[in-house]
Amino acid sequence: MNFDLSDEQNVVSDLAKQIFEGHAPVERVKHVERAGDGFDRELWHELANANLLGLCLPEDVGGSGFGLVELCMLLEQQGRRVAPVPVWATLALGALPIAEFGTPAQRTEWLPGVCAGNVVLSAALNERGADDALRPTVTALRSEHGWHLQGVKPTVPSAQFAARVLVPARQDDGRIGVFLVNPADAGVQVQPVKATNHQPHAHLVIDTVVSADDRLGGESGDGEEQLHFMLERALVGLCALQLGVCSAAIEQTAAYTSGRAQFGKPLSTFQAVGHQAADAFILTEPMRVTMLQAAWRLVHGLPSRQEVLIAKYWASEAGQKVVHLCQHLHGGMGSDIDYPIHRYFLWGVQNETTLGAGSTQLARLGELIAREGR
Amino acid sequence: MDIGDSPEEAAFRAEARAWLEANAQRRDPAKRHKQASTDVEQDVHARACQEWQRVLYDGGWAGLTWPKRFGGRGGTPWQAAIFAEEQNKFDVAVGAFAVAHGMVAPTLMMHGTDDQRGHLDAMLRGDDIWCQLFSEPEAGSDLANIGTRAVLDGDEWVINGQKVWTSGAQHSVYAILLARTDPDAPKHAGITYFILDMRSPGIEVRPLRQITGVAHFNEVFLTDVRIPVANVVGDVNGGWKIAHTTLSNERALIGGGNTAWSMQELIAMARHFGRTNDPIVRQGIAKAHSRAAVLQYMGYRMRTSISRGEMPGVVASTMKLFYARHWAATTALALSIQGADGVLWGDSALDDGLWQQTFCGQYAVRLGGGTDEIQGNVIGERALGLPREPALDRDLPWRETRGSGR
Repeated sequence: MNFDLSDEQNVVSDLAKQIFEGHAPVERVKHVERAGDGFDRELWHELANANLLGLCLPEDVGGSGFGLVELCMLLEQQGRRVAPVPVWATLALGALPIAEFGTPAQRTEWLPGVCAGNVVLSAALNERGADDALRPTVTALRSEHGWHLQGVKPTVPSAQFAARVLVPARQDDGRIGVFLVNPADAGVQVQPVKATNHQPHAHLVIDTVVSADDRLGGESGDGEEQLHFMLERALVGLCALQLGVCSAAIEQTAAYTSGRAQFGKPLSTFQAVGHQAADAFILTEPMRVTMLQAAWRLVHGLPSRQEVLIAKYWASEAGQKVVHLCQHLHGGMGSDIDYPIHRYFLWGVQNETTLGAGSTQLARLGELIAREGR
Repeated sequence: MDIGDSPEEAAFRAEARAWLEANAQRRDPAKRHKQASTDVEQDVHARACQEWQRVLYDGGWAGLTWPKRFGGRGGTPWQAAIFAEEQNKFDVAVGAFAVAHGMVAPTLMMHGTDDQRGHLDAMLRGDDIWCQLFSEPEAGSDLANIGTRAVLDGDEWVINGQKVWTSGAQHSVYAILLARTDPDAPKHAGITYFILDMRSPGIEVRPLRQITGVAHFNEVFLTDVRIPVANVVGDVNGGWKIAHTTLSNERALIGGGNTAWSMQELIAMARHFGRTNDPIVRQGIAKAHSRAAVLQYMGYRMRTSISRGEMPGVVASTMKLFYARHWAATTALALSIQGADGVLWGDSALDDGLWQQTFCGQYAVRLGGGTDEIQGNVIGERALGLPREPALDRDLPWRETRGSGR
């Protein structure tokens, strides 16, 4: 047993840190937010040039052959800078499932482009209302030209930039299939929506026919297994982003409260302030260890359902407490959007809620424990 | 990073398990065992701890991480963790040596003279139980304010004062003691760290009966107690630094320890009351389960850093604070699961009132070894780099600070 990161993992983390710190300073993030479409393509290409977009993809498609743990290091560093690039959507939601389950044709069509920074991918996991991504409501009817998909998928990240969106659907034979949908198809309406963290998202209204070749893994692909795989990676990826968001927010809060004086001494020397900062710290450490545990078990093919739910519970529950504390300790500066801390609050809330907040994860975990008695 | 057992670790686990099977009885994971409450039960427990420690020693399993030159096995922190996990499945008495092995031994290994390290073997063998004479009525969170005096008389120090919250003093043959040797120095600079033979004349131990019904803690009165100069650990007036080693290890010990219940016991209890289908109860159990997982992983991280030779400073404080909150929240949940039975006490309650006792025992965990707030200060200053809270008495001679209303 060894809880240290390997030398290679540290190199990945340092490289990612260097690129995000160099290319996503506050001014740049602010600029993309105000002037652009919410996608920093310059930064995206820097990540591709450093081989970070192919980090977790196999070598035969141009990647570096690392896995989910290393992707989490990358996402943590992105979270630290709240950088506007679709890493989570492209790699965790799109590329990992294609690499794992895709047919040879699907892998060679999309993954080299991901590594090179030319292809953005995403997946439509959210469902309206009940929040159960494992029970998709989009329907797929077999037709002579392939599959006729019909339904609505809310809040798909980066759908407006994606070459393909992985859409899980309920087939007419009762099975689940995951389909590679082109958002530019005439039968797909992309309705851009505003999201809490100001990152690009869109609702998809789908009424289109996709070719049988665009079913993930082809005819024999097991959609049920694919969907579990996708959801688990999606959740752990969010946990890594949230860890970066929270740890950077705490560091900024420590610096801010140590620099600002009231009653003749730094704010942070008041226990009422220092202890809230310490509380934020001890809420963040569980996020780190539960995320690493879940990612590590997934990579090693060990049973991970509980571990993933535990990690997302902490990322949601502790994450929202941390960003609230940091926001509060910044006083009025927290609500000034010229000052950077508010972005951490907004990203924190977004990560908390996406694919189920803390109580949703707990309800699922409670059900598993009651069933498995573990 | 590798969170599973390596082949060597798996082999070690198998070896440990086989030895335990041959030397102890397995315990029922869903059944809670009665905690020693009365004085007689506590004496029995202390003796049982000594006997089991001797079995470990004779079997070559004592002092797993201690260097071989101190009589240990020279193993890794991981092996100690694996052994503790396995041992926890067996019905054996542990706990009486927490102070000796967890706090005194690391301090003596780091700061003791060769003669002082001679104590290590007897504590490893299970002969000597130790206690810690640090806290005083006027020196709790402000531990550096201790007023127990030590005055040099020839080649002996003469000690007068009172200590409090001393775990296991009634069973101890040795103690570590902080006393003031220079009242004219600032409070942190006039303290000396001693080894005290608890059989010396002038020591009176009075048990403190706690809300839990157990007398785990004691008051210890010291009247003209004499300590040879050879029993000073480190330098005269240099005791504060050495106390830090002890305190840091104490936090690691508490935060890295087992709770007084297991998750299996909690779930079995919820089943017993037919509450496992109640969504609120299930969320509560799921939260407790996830906190227990966090503590397990944090323990892995702490052991990884200890195995690099680092002091368990910030991690120990983090775990200790987290552990205390876990204890408070989970025991409150346990009583709420019991519904109307939650208000019962002692043998009227389920499992002889162990859940109620554990609930009331949360304050020992939250206050002992540095309060929740002290851990918050450590984390603020050492993990986050916040400035120290201003202390008006830090540079004044200790004697002068005594006049101002203390």
